[in-house]
Amino acid sequence: MFIGTDRLTHTYMPGTPYAKKALDNVSFEIKQGGFALVIGRSGSGKSTLIQHLNGLLKPTSGRVFFDGHDLGQKGNELLKIRRKIGLVFQMPEELFFSETIFDEIAFAPRNLGLEETEVQTRVIEALEEVGMEAEQFIDRHPFQLSAGQKRMVALAAVLSLRPEVLILDEPTAGLDHSGQKILFKLLASLNKKKNMTFIICTHHLDQVAALADQVLVLQEGRLVMDGFPQKIFGRRSQLIKMGLSPPVTAEIMADLAERGLDVRSDIFNLEDARAEINRLRRHRVK
Amino acid sequence: MSRSITLGQYYPGKSLIHRLNPRAKILSLVMVLILLFSLHTYEALLAQLAVALLLIWNTRVPFRYFLRGLRPILYIALFAIIIYFFFTSGGVVLLRIGFITVESHGVQQGIFIILRLITLVLFSLLLTLTTTPLALTHGIGYFLKPLRYVGLPTEEIAMIMAIALRFIPTLMEESQRLMRAQVSRGADFETGSIFRRAKSLVPLIVPLFVSAFRRADDLALAMEARGYQVGAVRTRMYEDTIMPLDWTVLLVVIAMVAVAWILGL
Repeated sequence: MFIGTDRLTHTYMPGTPYAKKALDNVSFEIKQGGFALVIGRSGSGKSTLIQHLNGLLKPTSGRVFFDGHDLGQKGNELLKIRRKIGLVFQMPEELFFSETIFDEIAFAPRNLGLEETEVQTRVIEALEEVGMEAEQFIDRHPFQLSAGQKRMVALAAVLSLRPEVLILDEPTAGLDHSGQKILFKLLASLNKKKNMTFIICTHHLDQVAALADQVLVLQEGRLVMDGFPQKIFGRRSQLIKMGLSPPVTAEIMADLAERGLDVRSDIFNLEDARAEINRLRRHRVK
Repeated sequence: MSRSITLGQYYPGKSLIHRLNPRAKILSLVMVLILLFSLHTYEALLAQLAVALLLIWNTRVPFRYFLRGLRPILYIALFAIIIYFFFTSGGVVLLRIGFITVESHGVQQGIFIILRLITLVLFSLLLTLTTTPLALTHGIGYFLKPLRYVGLPTEEIAMIMAIALRFIPTLMEESQRLMRAQVSRGADFETGSIFRRAKSLVPLIVPLFVSAFRRADDLALAMEARGYQVGAVRTRMYEDTIMPLDWTVLLVVIAMVAVAWILGL
């Protein structure tokens, strides 16, 4: 058991007329080095779930575990563990408050109480990790950056904690296509090279679907599907019924199948789709 | 999200009082408050308290919400007890501690004042617990209207109040979101000296201001795009009409005030 939950239930504002059960009996597990997607309509409990994984919210009932620890417990122990789980919120650049990019990224390691030399090492390391030249950027004001660069700095501001798990909530919101591409490329390399575990909440599956090895589907606070991407995205009609849009490639394949072509139904990324369409074309030429 | 997001105190419901027009409720409250201040007999005051309790029962709002609303007046009540019990003379001496005496007139008056205060707050809570903040603002805006003739921009004041009310929960939610996000970056808002804690608020306040200004900008643009003009008279999507029920309630309140006045209570 690396990270996950056990019969996790969370109710907001219990005991008031506004009480709302946001999570209902959710149990799952993500392996170390895994790359999980959490999908579901807005209000399905995604944000509530990831905030539990970081210990920001306490379960109403059930357990949240990480590396053998129970995150529902109180105390300093929890604080130490929490640092290993980085959480990148939606639009993380809205959290900027410092006058230089250096201070912004240094915020987290300084909060760990590290020596200033160590802080500096980490800031530079984090900036390099997101593909930004440290020398060129550390003294600039965070608000001077482009949207894509801001997002990268925000990511670096969490990477400077050297987390083992990185949770991202809608990481591509507000980014253009190339910005999204760069971001996912970065996440994929962190996942492969550093064996960092990823948990990503998103509505835009097109680019990220190919990276995932696990997909969790939430509906009204309940975990309704959990499995390999092939399996989940294969259940296209069910996803659509839940108001979710499968990756475009899966849609195209389904469309081709509907027109009587003999295509595989478990394709959800660009590479496989291209290979499959090429196969079909060769088949036709013959 | 938390408890504090329920701005004001509105408790949803469908009772008679919930359904009343906010203007009728505000006018009734003003009359009742004036009546309460002019009462000087115990019988009349207890009758008013009974009316308040009856109405509270009718709203189906749990009584603990009213108790919570009464909490702030606890200190005022304590103060009143001290002043009246110890410093008002007259009547029978009930207690003597050294040179301080507690006399019956003082006790009587002290309890009267406290009961009056409680009744007053209960009636006010009846308004705020059964009316959405927005409806309340519109109601207040209506009564401000005559002030336009002395040059007060009442439409704008009402708009400012409505916008402020609308954004309090939004900003609260925002600040909580920001707080959690900074906590996940290792921020600590709770421990340390006052100076340290004040300094630790910077990562919260700066983003909050940035987002508040951005929201204000967006809102101003959206309002202009929809033809908002300073000084123009606004019409509303949902007009709150005064129903026969509202008139009935107003008449009952007027009758109550009249009876009290005629009987010289």
